[in-house]
Parts: sequence; C-alpha cells; structure tokens
Amino acid sequence: MTSAGATPIPAYDLGRVPYRDALRFQHEAVLARAEGRCQDALYFVEHEPVLTFGRAGRAENLLLSEPELRRRGVEVVPVERGGDVTYHGPGQVVGYPIVSLRDLPSGCDLHHYLRDLEEALIRVLSSYGLDAVRRPSLTGVWVGDRKVAAIGVAVRRWVAFHGFALNVDPELEHFGWIHPCGIREFGVASMKSLLGAAPPREEILSRLRSAFAEVWRRPVWDATRSPEADSLWKEMLHA
Amino acid sequence: MPVTIVVPQLGESVVEGTVGKWLKKVGDPIAKDEPIVEIITDKINIELPAPSAGTLGKITVEEGVVAQVGQELGVILGQGESAPAAAAPRAPAPSSAAPQPPAAAPAPRPSAPSPQQPSAPAPAPARGTAVEEPPSGDGQRMSPAVRKLVKEHQLDVSSIRGSGMGGRVTREDVLNHIEAARLGAAAGAPAPGAQAGRVELGAAPPAERAAPSPKKPIPAPALAAPGAREEQVEPLTNVRKKIAENMSRSRHMAAHCATWDEVDMTALVDLRARLKEKVKETYGVSLTYMPFIVKAVVRALKEFPVLNATMTENEVHYRKYYNIGIAVHRDAGLIVPIVHDADRKTLLQIAAEIEDLGGRARADKLQLNDIQGSTFTITNAGMFGATASTPIINYPEVGVLGVHLIQERPVVREHRIVIRSMMTLVLSFDHRLVDGTPAVQFLHRVKELLEDPESWLLDTI
Repeated sequence: MTSAGATPIPAYDLGRVPYRDALRFQHEAVLARAEGRCQDALYFVEHEPVLTFGRAGRAENLLLSEPELRRRGVEVVPVERGGDVTYHGPGQVVGYPIVSLRDLPSGCDLHHYLRDLEEALIRVLSSYGLDAVRRPSLTGVWVGDRKVAAIGVAVRRWVAFHGFALNVDPELEHFGWIHPCGIREFGVASMKSLLGAAPPREEILSRLRSAFAEVWRRPVWDATRSPEADSLWKEMLHA
Repeated sequence: MPVTIVVPQLGESVVEGTVGKWLKKVGDPIAKDEPIVEIITDKINIELPAPSAGTLGKITVEEGVVAQVGQELGVILGQGESAPAAAAPRAPAPSSAAPQPPAAAPAPRPSAPSPQQPSAPAPAPARGTAVEEPPSGDGQRMSPAVRKLVKEHQLDVSSIRGSGMGGRVTREDVLNHIEAARLGAAAGAPAPGAQAGRVELGAAPPAERAAPSPKKPIPAPALAAPGAREEQVEPLTNVRKKIAENMSRSRHMAAHCATWDEVDMTALVDLRARLKEKVKETYGVSLTYMPFIVKAVVRALKEFPVLNATMTENEVHYRKYYNIGIAVHRDAGLIVPIVHDADRKTLLQIAAEIEDLGGRARADKLQLNDIQGSTFTITNAGMFGATASTPIINYPEVGVLGVHLIQERPVVREHRIVIRSMMTLVLSFDHRLVDGTPAVQFLHRVKELLEDPESWLLDTI
C-alpha cells in the first residue's frame, strides 16, 4: 500500500470502440482490478452515437422516439454509472479510469474523486485558454452556461469505472436528442465551438495524461503502443 | 451474529445517498465482498460490498429511498440465524430463537407509539388518541358503568378521548362521543377539557366544559371530520428541481423590482379581429396578440438597450440581438422557448414560430437550441385569466414582461366613461442594472406601441 502512491498508471488510447464492447471490457477490467490481477489504468475511447442511461436516468429526458432512434441507428444502453442520460459520439474523448480508489489521494471519498476528475479536465481546458469551471451541484465541467465535459462514475468493490466524456468536436446537434444529464436550461458546448477549431486528439490526450498525473500525484504514461495494448485489443474484440 | 449493512462514509461532503438497486433479494446467499446494493450520490453509483458472508436477511431501506451515512440498509444473517427484531422500527416479529431484548415487550396496542414502558403511568392529561394506561382488558381505564355504556353502543374505546384523571374515559366523554358520531363527526370533536390550559380571551363566553351545549350545535358535515391526514409523496422531477433552482437563483441574485401600466388594447383587438380569419385562411397560422407584443417589445428594447443587457461582476453586455423567450406552461413544468432574432422576422413569421414552439414545448419535443440564449422574456399569465402578476426574471436577463388578460373595463376618455379593452402590463426588472427611469420609460414605450399598432406595423412587415 505504501508504495502504491507512486505506481505509474498506464493510459491506453483504444480509439473507436462500440459502446457495448467497451462496457463489457470495463466490467472485466473492474473485476480484474478488484482481484489484483491488473493495475490501475486509464482508457481513452471514442464511441459511435449512443445514448446511455445512468441510474438516475429518466425517460422524459430522451426526446427522440424509439423508432426514430432505430432509424438513426442510435442505441440506448442502460448503465450502472450515476447520473441521467448522456450522449456519446464521434468527436468526444471518453475516458474510463479503472482505478482502485484506495490508491488515489482522494481515498474512498467519492465526491473528492469526482472533483479530481473535474480538476484534471479543467486544467486541460484552461491550457487552451478556456475559462472552465465547476458549477455547484452540477457535476461536470462548464464554460459559462454550457457543459463541455460530462462525468458519471460507478464504483464496484472500491474500484471506479465509467468516467468522463470531453466534447472536443462532436455533432452538437445530437445533444438535442436528449436533455443531457436531465438538465434542460443549460447547453452543451465543444472545444471546437468555443475555440473555433478542435485541437488534435493526440495533443488533448497528452494534456489529459499530464493533468491526471498532477491531480493523482502519480505518473501517467502513454501505453498505447505497449505490448499490453495489443492483448487488450484482442480481449475487447473477442471477449 | 447478524451483520447490519450500513451506508459507509463515502466522502467528507457526502451525508446521504439514494438506494439505487438491491442486487440481492432477501434469502439470497451472499459471499463476503460481493456487491449487494447500489448507493447513488451525485454522479457516482457505488455498489456496496457485503461486509460478511451469509444470506440477506432483511432489506431495511427500499430502492429509491434516501439513506443517511451510518443508517442500516439491511441485515446479513449467518447460518441458522433469523432476522433480528431489535433493529426493526415497526412491530416486533415474534422470534423463536433470538432472545427478545426487553424493550420489545409487546405494547397493549400495536398503534401505541411510545417507546417508554408504561409501567409507571404519568398522571399527565391525555392529549393524543393513544392512552398510555396499563392494560385492563381493552387497555382503557374506566368505571364499570361507563364500560357498560361503551359496550351497549358498541363503541371503539380507543377512539374516545378521555377527559378524566389520567385520561380516564368518563360517562360524559362517551355521551359526547355518541353525539358527535350522530352528527357525522365521529372522533372529530375535540375532547372537552382537552384545551383546559387555554384561557379564553375577551367577551367570548367560556366554553362549556363537559355539559352538552344547550344551543344548537353547528352542523358538521361528514367532510369536516379530520381525515387520515393523508399525504401523497412523490419524488421531485428533475425538471421541477431545475425550475426551483433557477427561480431561487434569480430571486437571490437579481434585485427584483416591478412597475406596471394599463394598456388600451382596443385598437389592437380590432386590428387582430380584422386580420385573424384571413391569416388563418391564407397561412394556416393562428394570429394571437403575442406576435404584436413581441414586435413592440423588440422596438422598445432597441430604444432602451439596458433592458436587453445582462451583467457580470465587472461588465455589462449590451446584446445587439433580440432573442425573445416566451414562457409556456406545460404539465411537466414551465419552459421558455425562444424566438431567435425577433427583430429580423416579420409578424407572421413570429406568429408561426410561436405556434410551433408552443406545440413542441407541450409535446416535449423542444431542441436545446429552442431554449438557449434568450435576451428578454415575455410571460402571459393572462392565458389563464390573471389580470396582474409580478413575474420572476429569467436570470441572467434583466427584465421580464408580464402580459395579462385583455378585458373590457370602464375608463375615462375626455371626461367621459367609456368601455375599452384594457390590459395590465407588468415589468419585473433587475434594479441592480436597470434604474427605475428607463424601466418605466421602456414599459411606457411598449404601451404606446401597443395602443397605436398601425403607426409602426407598416414598417415591420
């Protein structure tokens, strides 16, 4: 336990992954982490358009009818994270930290963990000159009245999974399919809509790694091209 | 030993969580550390691991209910154990094996809520319906004569309030009860003497104590009897939570001030009456007063830009675009769809757009863009008959115009009383940014424009 504070965290960019595959992968990774068969890790992915309903999800926040969703090929997936309905789609950096809470500075303080996720995202957005802030009782990261990153987390056996979705350059119109997180009065923004142009994904991932390293006080390194990444891929595709 | 499952300390700022889902049912076997129940707090859903192995013996807190940190959620039983009664908040289940703690000695009636033992009855006058008396058959202390009376009339003693010493039910009490029941107010009449501590004030004659009133009692319909004090509890919807948050934020942040004026709508009523059939026929659009009001408001906003502004800590943002929010009632709760760039749209375009937005608002089909970015808001309480109201500002805007019922009222014109179609206009404004003068002038300008629509409509069409 004492040396855990300095254990590096590998970060993998898994690219475009179907939501259900990523979900199944997360479940296995949580179990493996809880049983000590693997270490803490951070996974970056991108999804095809999908709507996920958290445990606090309400059907009234879904604005498209079922047939309409089918027509557009959008899946609706109920998930075990907290929060209401969320949209994921191309142009987002979705991050799944699968980490043992006991080994983080926040310990088993769940709100502290949420605030740390926000903090890392705020640091990245600030590095692009954006005035990113928290809003009281509205978990996520905001620029003005618009949410730029959504957060929803689940914890199983003190291992956190699910995580955040940062809007880099998603189709903002797709957020009109839902009341994101059940919030109707505030809007959604992307880095592109705020900056005029979307920064390259590689650069954002790099800044995310640095930000999480600072917040968690542990090295976070790019493991995308490591040998483990290959086996992860196979696991995800053939599990 | 049965092991209780409690809400653990989940963080410094976490005091409670909602039980999300029980992953196990009562009777299910449980391995240690296996997830058994979900707790949701903020945006986190945590699965609590079982503190020990066994079977799930009891679920104390059901799904969807909020539990405090440290509160018992359920109980895990070891082998051969049965559910403990001690922690049960309700009637103790007679348990065969586990020895009953002394506190669980059965109360005379299950409804008796008092956790104290009735072994030493206090001589305090009974006030409630439950009488804490040592059990004597039916649990009531009364004389044999009274008992006989009760039996004769087949009464439920527990519903009679005793006015005698130590809550004793007297003959008077029983007779009063019978009389009250006859009047359809069974159990409703306050026990005479129950208010004995009160001093009657003034000239009112002192209330009769026990003797039945010689005067004719006030007829009490059955409805007047206090009911079960039933309350229906429903969770707050997210929409309602957001509305509540926005409303109190506005009240808290903005320095609300209101000013109002009477508008003579006669000319506009005539104009609309002349146009509406034609508009409906030609364009399929219902022409209400709202598009005219939107147009008048936009004109006035251009003349008094501060009403279309918003302020931050150090800045004022004068918006040179005119996105007019129009509050719409829905069953789910208020929503404010927006006519964007109302200054660049014709009256008919605005009419069509309002109709479309209203329809989609009620069908819950609004898109984010429809409700984002208004610069000024109009709310029509007149739709439901209000003749005046002071709306809450749609913060961070600085003004909201309330429009109301148009009704014929007598007014004075040139020393004569005439009938005109009148409407009250109310402007709520944020007095931090908007001084009284521009607020009043703005409202007066809106009034002028509405009173003489033909003067300005020509150059907007």
